[in-house]
Amino acid sequence: MTDLDGAPELAPYRDEPAQLPGGAPGKVGLLRLAFERRAERTVLTDLFRQAPLLAQRALYWDAAMPEMACLFIISTSGGILQGDRYRIDVSLGEGARAHLTTQAANKIQEMDANYATQFQRISLAEDAYLEYLPEPTIPYRHSRFVSDTAVTLPQSATVLYAEILLPGRKHHRDGEIFQYDLFSCAVRAARPGGRNLFVEKYVIEPARFGVDRRGVLDSFHVFGNVLLLTSPERARRVADQTPPTWDDDLPIVAGVSLLPNDAGLSYKVLGRETEPVRTLIQQFCTVARAAAVGRAASSAFAWR
Amino acid sequence: MTRSLPTIPAALRLLQFGDSMFPVGAFAFSSGLEMAVQAGVVRDRAELAEFVRTVTHVAATGDGVALLHGHRGAVAGDLDRIRRADEAVHLRKLSEEARTMSLRMGRKLAEASGRVVGDSMLDKRFRDAEPDGVPVTYPVALGALFAGLGLGEEEAFAVHQYGVAATLLGAALRLMRIGHLDTQAILYEVNGTAAEEYQRVTIADLDDMAAFAPMVDVLAAAHVHAHVRMFMN
Repeated sequence: MTDLDGAPELAPYRDEPAQLPGGAPGKVGLLRLAFERRAERTVLTDLFRQAPLLAQRALYWDAAMPEMACLFIISTSGGILQGDRYRIDVSLGEGARAHLTTQAANKIQEMDANYATQFQRISLAEDAYLEYLPEPTIPYRHSRFVSDTAVTLPQSATVLYAEILLPGRKHHRDGEIFQYDLFSCAVRAARPGGRNLFVEKYVIEPARFGVDRRGVLDSFHVFGNVLLLTSPERARRVADQTPPTWDDDLPIVAGVSLLPNDAGLSYKVLGRETEPVRTLIQQFCTVARAAAVGRAASSAFAWR
Repeated sequence: MTRSLPTIPAALRLLQFGDSMFPVGAFAFSSGLEMAVQAGVVRDRAELAEFVRTVTHVAATGDGVALLHGHRGAVAGDLDRIRRADEAVHLRKLSEEARTMSLRMGRKLAEASGRVVGDSMLDKRFRDAEPDGVPVTYPVALGALFAGLGLGEEEAFAVHQYGVAATLLGAALRLMRIGHLDTQAILYEVNGTAAEEYQRVTIADLDDMAAFAPMVDVLAAAHVHAHVRMFMN
């Protein structure tokens, strides 16, 4: 699949915006990043960018992993707009270590025509290590968003990928909870030779099948979805150190599951507010980083 | 459907292979309900009905799609298409317990079918599964089996939806205070949604298989750690 416009869940939303048409110049955000390990540290050896996506230069802010290249993915348009098409390609050479994050919450703006898509391709060479921890996603009223992420990695490499999905602008005016039209997310992984490891796809259409049902999100609002793709030994070690969380008072629940084909593990967190979910995910990331590269986690930025 | 059977044999085959007592071991699974009851997520009839509806919806948009492809593959004599459907199911079973359930019931159905029905596309797929590395999964095996029995894909889809609900409700009788008449009423209600679910997934590709039930996933993850369990999931 090279673009997501054919996704069946987008069928009701193929009308063109009154503004720039879908995929027009200025609507196609491109980012291509390549990281390679040099003697002392990992460097950003290739950077191609096209607004509204932007990345500047690699920084080295992580005191516990000073060799790791850290990069902010920036959107110049203040959020994802109807008709936007993003594509992000990331590759890490042998032994490279990188940390990707975003500068602010990923706001999927209110839509009255068309949709937005994000297509990501991530590939790692032997022993590479990638943390991809974007800020939470906030789908506004009537937004429609489809994303597809494919990761290719050998067993020696590790990807730690975490997404936090909010219900909308929860405290905006009278509250905007699950008023988006469509949030569709697929993540797949494969080995470099082509062997498929797993696929996770979820399609959320709150008006079609209520998300507050038993078994879906119940009374929870915030969904944290973490994937740790790594060797089975490391995955097992992290799973052993991550007991399930079930706290009716906060409230927050979480648990890990080992993925098929020894791909690693999946960690899911449900909470009512963002911060407790973020805290549990940070704890998980600390355990995961220790298992993968034997390093401590650096403390989070004070403003984040 | 390539060949349709006269009504009486078709009805009897549907009853035999769609029976929740057919020995595929469904009784050993609660599809997350055991933990849901323990954690207080499901406490009464209304909550049980809602939970069953969630699980059947997820079954329709995920496994149900693969079941249809398994059926169509068997009708077309296309073993690779059945294999791709099996692989699609296995790749998407992110929870260990759901994976165990799908593989174990798939294997048992394939074995039973070999004994009861004899040679079929399902049998061929089952023989290939071991060397090939792509295991037989329950929904795809059911689809392929029904094609071999001369039953249509709609019947296979319906039986699968029924099985998901009946398994859960059977577990509910043992896990919570609820009577047989209540579970039958819920079953009747949930069965009323299957035709619409079928309409929605009939043109879906394997790549379109999707599910969203994070609470069921978290319950399954917690269940793995539970000390006292009656069910395997």
